[in-house]
Amino acid sequence: MPVTLVHPGNEKTPQAAAPPARLQSLAGKKIGLLDISKPGGSFFLDRLEELMLTRYQAGRVMRVKKPTYTKNAPPQVIEQLRGMDAVIEALAD
Amino acid sequence: MTGRNDCVGAYLPSILVPMKTSQRQPALEIQGYRPGKQALLVFFETDCPTCQLALPYLNGLAGGGVQIIGFSQDDDARTREFVRQMAITYPVMLDRGLQLSRAYDPRSVPAIFLLDEHGSVAKSLVGFDKDGLNELAALLGHAPIAPADDGAPAWKPGCGSRHLDPHSEDPHSEEAASGGGESAPILRRVAQPAQRITLGDGEDLVEFCYHEFGDALPVVPPTSEKVAAMLKPSSLSPESVVARVPPCYGEATVEKIAANAVMAGCRPEMMRVLLPLVRAACDERFNAHGVQATTHFAAPLIMINGPVRDELGFWSRQNVFSNVARANSTLGRALQLILLNIGGGRPDGIDMSALGNSGKFSFCIAENEEESPWEPFHVDRGLQRGESALSLFAAEPPRGVSEHTAQRGETVLRAVCQALATVWSYRLCGRNEAVVVLCPEHVKTLHRDGFTKPAVRQFLFENTGIPIRYYTPADGGEGTQLVSQYREITILGERCYQKFSSPEAIHIFVSGGTAGKFSAVLGSWATGPAGSQMVTYPIPDR
Repeated sequence: MPVTLVHPGNEKTPQAAAPPARLQSLAGKKIGLLDISKPGGSFFLDRLEELMLTRYQAGRVMRVKKPTYTKNAPPQVIEQLRGMDAVIEALAD
Repeated sequence: MTGRNDCVGAYLPSILVPMKTSQRQPALEIQGYRPGKQALLVFFETDCPTCQLALPYLNGLAGGGVQIIGFSQDDDARTREFVRQMAITYPVMLDRGLQLSRAYDPRSVPAIFLLDEHGSVAKSLVGFDKDGLNELAALLGHAPIAPADDGAPAWKPGCGSRHLDPHSEDPHSEEAASGGGESAPILRRVAQPAQRITLGDGEDLVEFCYHEFGDALPVVPPTSEKVAAMLKPSSLSPESVVARVPPCYGEATVEKIAANAVMAGCRPEMMRVLLPLVRAACDERFNAHGVQATTHFAAPLIMINGPVRDELGFWSRQNVFSNVARANSTLGRALQLILLNIGGGRPDGIDMSALGNSGKFSFCIAENEEESPWEPFHVDRGLQRGESALSLFAAEPPRGVSEHTAQRGETVLRAVCQALATVWSYRLCGRNEAVVVLCPEHVKTLHRDGFTKPAVRQFLFENTGIPIRYYTPADGGEGTQLVSQYREITILGERCYQKFSSPEAIHIFVSGGTAGKFSAVLGSWATGPAGSQMVTYPIPDR
C-alpha cells in the first residue's frame, strides 16, 4: 500500500547566480579587501594590499571590516564594497 | 497566570479618547481602556522578533497595577498563540482593520504609547530599548523592568508597522496573511503546505528517509498520519511560519517542525516545547547562523526547567547527558534535525566544525530542582518559579570535574575553577562564558557550608585565573596577544589574569544523580552581542 510522507526540509531552491566575468588584468581595477574580524586577518590583507598595488598596479584598494566574524556582513559593509571590480575576503585564523 | 490571556479577541467595555495627532480629530474607541488612569498601549506583530523580545518585559509592569493593553496587528489565531508562547499576562486585543495603528501611526513595532490620565500621549517608544522601558517604568512609579545584564541587547530595531504595508487593507484576510502570494513581502507569515512524497509498495521507508533526510542515524518516517497526530496539540495552522532557520533560513512551518519531531521520535505533546524551542534557536541573540557554521565545537545545549519536566518526562538525574530519557533525547534530536533539514546546517557541508560535538545527536538536560536548595535556573533568567522554561546555550562538550575527598565547599569550587580555567583555550581570558553543572552531592556540600548560588558564582569568578607566569616568555600562543586587556588578580598568593569578565558569565545549573561527586563545566562559543548569547523562553502550559 502506498505511503505518503511529509517533506521535512527546506523546499526552496537556491537561485543560482552566474559569477561575473573573470578579470583579465588587475591593473587599474578597484579591489575590495574584506576583513571578517578574525585575528590575523589584517596581516594577510596588509600583504595582499601591497601586492595589489605594487605587483599588479591595482587602481584602488578598499579595506572594509565586518563588525564580527560570527555574523553576516551588515548592509553597510556590503554597500561599501559596491562598485568594486573584485573583492577578496580574508577568512583568517 | 502563565500562558493564559482571556482578553485576546474579546470586546471589553470601551470609551472614546482623543488621538495623539490632533484634538480636532474625531475620538476613537479603544476597547478595554479605563479612563482617569495612566495606560500603555502596545502595538505589535506576532512574527516580529523584536516584539517577541520586548513584550514579555511589560509583564513586569502588569503585575504592578499599571493599565496595559496590547494591540495585535495579526489575526486571532496567531495572536492567541503569541500570547501563549510569550506568556503575556496583560490584556491583548486585535487591532481589527488596523484602525488604531493608522490613528497612532507608529513607523515600526513594537510601539508603546504612554497615555496620561486624560488619554493624551505623554511618551512613546518604538522598537526595543532597555533605557526607554525603564524610563517608562519610572514614569509609572515602577522599579526598572529591563536589567542591563540579562543577556538581551540594550537596543534592537523593530519591524515595519503593518498599517504601512501596501497590502494591509485587510490584514486579517488569508491573502494578507500569506503575504498575498509569492511576489508579496519577503518574510511571509504563512508558507505553502509541505510537499507530499508518495512511496509505492515495497519501498523501504526507513532507508528512503535515511538517504533523503536527516543525519547519519535512521529516522522515523514522517508519514502524513504521524505528522497529523503531531500537529493536533498545536492551535496554529500547519503552514504558519514559526521562524526562519539559519544558516539557509528555511521556513520552519508548524508542519515541518512536526515532521522533524516525528522523525526524532517525539510524542505529540512535545510540540508545546518545540515551538518556543525553534523560536529560541532562531532568536538573533542566539545567532544560530554562526553557531551552525563555526569550526568550533559549539552545539545548542537545551536546558529545561519547571513543571514541564514532570509533565513530559524530562530527566534530570543520573546520566542526564546520556541516552536515558525519551523526552530529553528526542527533543534534542528534533532540534538537530530541524537545524539540518530546514536550516541546512549539514555536518558534511555548511557546518564546518573541525571535530564536531556528540551533542549534535542530541543535547538536552533538565535541572534537578528537587535536589537543589537554590532557586531554579530559569528564575535566574527572569522567569517565575512556577513557569516552565527552556534555555539555549552554544556549548562545548562537558568536561568532568571529579572531587570526592573534599570536606569543604570551597575545595569543591577550587576544583571547578581549574576546569573553568581551560574554557576555550587556557590563556584566553574575558571572552567566554560557561555553564557549570553541579551534581547534587557537590551542591549539598556547598549548601552546608553556607554557599548561596550568587556566592558560588562570585567565588568562581574571583578564583578562576591563569597564572601570569604562563604568559612569559610570549610564545605567540592563543590568548597571549590580548594581555593588555586582561584584569590582574591574586589567587592563593599568585598573580593571575582573571578568566571571566563578570560573575554573570558563569551559569550554575544543578543536575545529575544523587550518587557520585562528579560535576561538569561546559564552555561557550564566542559570546556577547558579537557572538552567541544564551536565550531563555517560557514553555506554555498544556
